[in-house]
Amino acid sequence: MKGGEKGGRKGGRKGGRKGGRKGCEEILISTFTFFTATICCSQLPQFCRRCEVMRMLLADQGQSWKEEVVTLDVWEQGTFKASCLFGQIPKFQDGELTLYQSNAILRHLGRSFGLYGKDQQEAALVDMVNDGLEDLFRRIARQYRHILKEGKDQYQKGLPGHLKPFETLLAQNRGGQSFIVGDQISFADYRLLDVLLNLELLFPGYLNDFPLFSAYVARLKSRPKLKAFLESPEHVNRPLAACIKM
Amino acid sequence: MPPYTIVYFPSRGRCEVMRMLLADQGQSWKEEVVTLDVWEQGTFKASCLFGQIPKFQDGELTLYQSNAILRHLGRSFGLYGKDQQEAALVDMVNDGLEDLFRRIARQYRHILKEGKDQYQKGLPGHLKPFETLLAQNRGGQSFIVGDQISFADYRLLDVLLNLELLFPGYLNDFPLFSAYVARLKSRPKLKAFLESPEHVNRPLAACIKM
Repeated sequence: MKGGEKGGRKGGRKGGRKGGRKGCEEILISTFTFFTATICCSQLPQFCRRCEVMRMLLADQGQSWKEEVVTLDVWEQGTFKASCLFGQIPKFQDGELTLYQSNAILRHLGRSFGLYGKDQQEAALVDMVNDGLEDLFRRIARQYRHILKEGKDQYQKGLPGHLKPFETLLAQNRGGQSFIVGDQISFADYRLLDVLLNLELLFPGYLNDFPLFSAYVARLKSRPKLKAFLESPEHVNRPLAACIKM
Repeated sequence: MPPYTIVYFPSRGRCEVMRMLLADQGQSWKEEVVTLDVWEQGTFKASCLFGQIPKFQDGELTLYQSNAILRHLGRSFGLYGKDQQEAALVDMVNDGLEDLFRRIARQYRHILKEGKDQYQKGLPGHLKPFETLLAQNRGGQSFIVGDQISFADYRLLDVLLNLELLFPGYLNDFPLFSAYVARLKSRPKLKAFLESPEHVNRPLAACIKM
């Protein structure tokens, strides 16, 4: 389904990490085996980090996908942006279905692969966790530049407060030895893992203060396909944000 | 005794959507109003998972996050599209409306103070994606996705009605939306709710301070 929004608006989601070996000027298109799904994502900081969750999910579910990378130049040129329904990416193709909005994509994949809890009640809790993580993601992204400039210490002090709800939920579920909701992995687990790993990049070693999360992260990272993905050059070399300019 | 309880400020805010949905689906629910004083006192707030409301009870299930509540009701009442593909589109619409809601809320005080004209000029751009989707579905004569009402319709209606409060008469510039709003408002139970004193008298926001 195409969108015809002209003159859109800039995406408002910011995320970022230093480093990034690929410059904003390069066009990179990687094509993996066969495309059951295409992720049209970006090196732009405001969009970059919204796709790693779906990549982790797809990889862990043994799926392959095609990447179409959008450079800053192409984005700022405007034609492609205007073709995006909300003037934002990611854009996602699942066969003939075109989707925008990263959380809608995530939920679609959740439904497709049975990663949405075992019943309606668990589904509601999975949604609730994801939405809480969405708020946290937006908060980190908004404060990202501030965190980098003003010093991380202050933000790191606030981490326990921000992470407390998720720690509580985890602890209440099988004493923290299982998933964030229920006894099977859900898209909220991939989302939570993504947040915890991103925080590790910003605040190396912080997980030492969160033993439940430490164990949880280690458990998820030991899943063979996910482990392979997380150790792959494509993941390791993909920056949180291609550039600090937001 | 209804299984549903909405715990929220005495305002429309993030809860009018679920109220419209429940009313239109012939459901009754209990309201537990949280005043600003109670909220600022802090004990109740600290008991909320993310320190936020709405809080929602469905029998023994306690939920936070307004969109999670909406999706739960969508699943409960078959308001989530007819298949997985439509479900994805319903999600996409709701998320787009969420972005728009946050934008309006952030700029609300500014809109009230600085003048609405400037914001009203931007309305066509903000509403365009939804107009496009509506037009592409049965020429705009149906719902936002598919042939049956979804929670995204209640969300869209809520946004369009809220904008009417801020910019009276703006719908005259959006004929498809005008017709769509009129169609939804004519649904008997929804009509009754929208005309009820409880809805009419409930302010958009409990206070300007957001």
